[in-house]
Amino acid sequence: MTSPQTAPNNEVTPELLAGCAAEPIRIPGAIQPHGALFVLDPETLALRQASTNLAAVTGLEMMPGQLLQDTPHAGALCRCLRRWLGGRSGVLLRTELIGIELFDILAHATPQGVIVECEPVDAVPSEGPEVFYTYIRRFLDQLAAAPDLAAMARATVDEVRALTGFNRTLLYSFDRIGDGTVLAEDTDGVLPSYRGQRFPAADIPKQARELYVNNRLRLIVDAGYVPCPIEPMASPVDGRPLDLSYAALRSVSPVHVEYMQNMGTGSSMSISIVVEGELWGLISGHSRAPRRINAQTRNACGMIGQMLSLHIEARQKSVHAAERLELTRIETELVAALSDATSLPEGLAAHREDWLGVVRADGAAIVMDGVVKQAGRTPAVSDTLILAERLHPMDDGIYATDSLAGEWPDLARLTGEASGVLAIPLSQIRPDCILWFRPEQVRTVEWAGDPAKAIDDGTTRLHPRHSFAAWSEQVRDHARSWTRAEIESAISFRGAVQNVILRRAEEKAELSGRLERANKELEAFSYSISHDLRAPFRHIVGYAELLGERETALETTSQHYLASIKDSALAAGRLVDDLLAFSQLGRHQLQSGTVDMNKLAAEVRRSLEPDMAGRSIAWEIGALPTAWGDPSMIRQVLLNLLQNAVKYTATREQARISLDGTELADTVAYTVADNGVGFEMAYVRKLFGVFQRLHRAEEFEGSGIGLALVKRIVERHGGTVSAKGTPGVGAEFSFTLPKRQVSHGVPIIG
Amino acid sequence: MADLRPILLVEDNPRDLELTLAALAKCQLANDIVVARDGAEALDYLYRRGIHADRPPGDPAVVLLDLKLPKVDGLEVLEQIKGDASHRQIPVVMLTSSREERDLTRSYELGVNAFVVKPVDFNAFFEAIQDLGMFWAILNEPPPRVGYGI
Repeated sequence: MTSPQTAPNNEVTPELLAGCAAEPIRIPGAIQPHGALFVLDPETLALRQASTNLAAVTGLEMMPGQLLQDTPHAGALCRCLRRWLGGRSGVLLRTELIGIELFDILAHATPQGVIVECEPVDAVPSEGPEVFYTYIRRFLDQLAAAPDLAAMARATVDEVRALTGFNRTLLYSFDRIGDGTVLAEDTDGVLPSYRGQRFPAADIPKQARELYVNNRLRLIVDAGYVPCPIEPMASPVDGRPLDLSYAALRSVSPVHVEYMQNMGTGSSMSISIVVEGELWGLISGHSRAPRRINAQTRNACGMIGQMLSLHIEARQKSVHAAERLELTRIETELVAALSDATSLPEGLAAHREDWLGVVRADGAAIVMDGVVKQAGRTPAVSDTLILAERLHPMDDGIYATDSLAGEWPDLARLTGEASGVLAIPLSQIRPDCILWFRPEQVRTVEWAGDPAKAIDDGTTRLHPRHSFAAWSEQVRDHARSWTRAEIESAISFRGAVQNVILRRAEEKAELSGRLERANKELEAFSYSISHDLRAPFRHIVGYAELLGERETALETTSQHYLASIKDSALAAGRLVDDLLAFSQLGRHQLQSGTVDMNKLAAEVRRSLEPDMAGRSIAWEIGALPTAWGDPSMIRQVLLNLLQNAVKYTATREQARISLDGTELADTVAYTVADNGVGFEMAYVRKLFGVFQRLHRAEEFEGSGIGLALVKRIVERHGGTVSAKGTPGVGAEFSFTLPKRQVSHGVPIIG
Repeated sequence: MADLRPILLVEDNPRDLELTLAALAKCQLANDIVVARDGAEALDYLYRRGIHADRPPGDPAVVLLDLKLPKVDGLEVLEQIKGDASHRQIPVVMLTSSREERDLTRSYELGVNAFVVKPVDFNAFFEAIQDLGMFWAILNEPPPRVGYGI
């Protein structure tokens, strides 16, 4: 910092006030004049810098470069500093004589030298330092017994006021934005009460908050003080102004002094409450009149602040841990349920209580592949989609807000369901995500003065507001904040859900891989059957035939045996052929075209002529509508149905077989009817199953695959099969095929 | 019908070989029958090399070719015959146990003249062979595209 504007006087320049946040509060170049400050070389104790009031306050007359031991009246001080520097443990705090007057001596080491501060002791305290231990022990007991934060806060303000004698002590905590809320107050009525009020974040600028984390106690003895400059201004060590971050006498910002004056306070002290490295809140004390608090008392107050900090931290951690534990329990149950669910959205929807409970939301939604599933109190599906698009991509892997309208004013219309939104992404590419919602919670906040009036926008100068009278504001478009535990729970849930998604994808890939392998194996199996299993049957039939031709003189029984060998092998061979035809059906690509059913029926009938030798069959084949399908497969259907009709009418002297067709709206239907042995309707469902036979083998030969094949072919075409029968009267088999618009199909049969 | 050219039968399975020869015998064809037991030998015969280096020149009247063969399989033999301008005109009939569509499709793609799925029924097989013999071995006319057993 080199700005000459940091002059050690209280001349308030516009530049200085342009923005409080830019103000160099660590290097004000001056101190409060109730004490004196000087900087020594840590080795030689030669003087480097000093406040201009050094001689006036302490009686020490020192020139820059002068050694402390050569300075009159500094003997005791010098010995005390030497001892401290020899042992060097933290900060020095002692009461010592300079000349004939007692001073509280504070010393701390900095890179610019040892900063020594001397504050005159008004009177020798009647009680020794032991008295503070009594106070502190009492305070500790109260803390331990406090049932809640409010009680802890009350004990603190009472204790600090008792120790310091301020007119009013306050304890306030900061929220996430930095606004402070007064949790406890102790007052003698001299100053106005601020109980329950809020102070806007702007009251304590950012760089002050940072300083307060390290320097835990600040004191302004007299708001009307005239700052006392430090000379030379620049440190001979590094040429920079002296860093007074840890100096008790540090002069404060003129804005702060103005703020105090507007509040009607003549003196103040504030103690930081630092929880987990962050400024959690402040304990402050004010008096209308100037007030000095001696170093020992300040030390005790500092300890109170530290003990309170530790207690709050412990309490917060245990609350957080309990919260996490409860949320983790819900999450574990939910994740277990999800891994069994058919899909992630289904699983979440089926466990809506846990889904909401995992972050204690009022509503939840999942957006996946553009489909939304919701639970509880949520915005409309269309708005949920808009929101998901808006949040994509979620670079941090999570999104949380207490006020959606604050981030996107156009989404203020969702405030009734979704003021608070917590979201986790499910994909990096698509706006897939899980969202949780909390509705608006309208609150009334009591501000200590209208916070909007903190800045006088007429000039570039910043003034604190003049009125601290309570000012109510209704806070809208805000939901109850997501706690750290809830946000952590959402992050943890995100990991679990991503695992579920990943595992599902892997399972799917594995399953389709397994299916592919199984299909390949099946194909290889049936290929090998068609080659290798058929051959032996063929050989048996062939050799039996040759044997029969050669041995013409076989006796009847031997001939019967030979015929049986041949028939059995033939039957087995046909069975293999039928099975293969059936299994090939699944792999066969349909090559559909228009099929002239009249020609096809005539051709099939001709092919059945060998079976009809010596039979009397009356055929009635009507005009058949054209079909759309794979011609070779439709031929199989007709062949099987007509073959069955021929077969099962074998016992009829006069067999009748008819084939008719009708054109319906979307389908064409064909019916084969016969006057054969028929079947009982009780078995109709078995008819179309593989290997289902309703007759004994010696009655009618067949493998029991024919109708199963018919059903499979028709169904592959998108059609249906049905059957009607009466034992001893006949059977009727029908199938339908869907119509298709005929484009370039050519009739293949004919 | 003087100077009948031989029939080349390519078959590795001894039983199929025996039954096919029996069927051919029943047909009472006058053609000589040359047997090759694998695809490589069939090609050696066609190209007059190896053990067939000394055979008199001339193509067979027809090749009856089994699909599954050791060394060089039936489809490869077919591919070589039909891919060679000097042998392309030799009629090739695929004799196979397989009803597999891909075999059938592949055979026709390669230019097979006929495709016979050996029926289980010996009489049907005999009839098929007889038809083939009449058609290809005796008449030996340019091959019309007729498929059997499909």
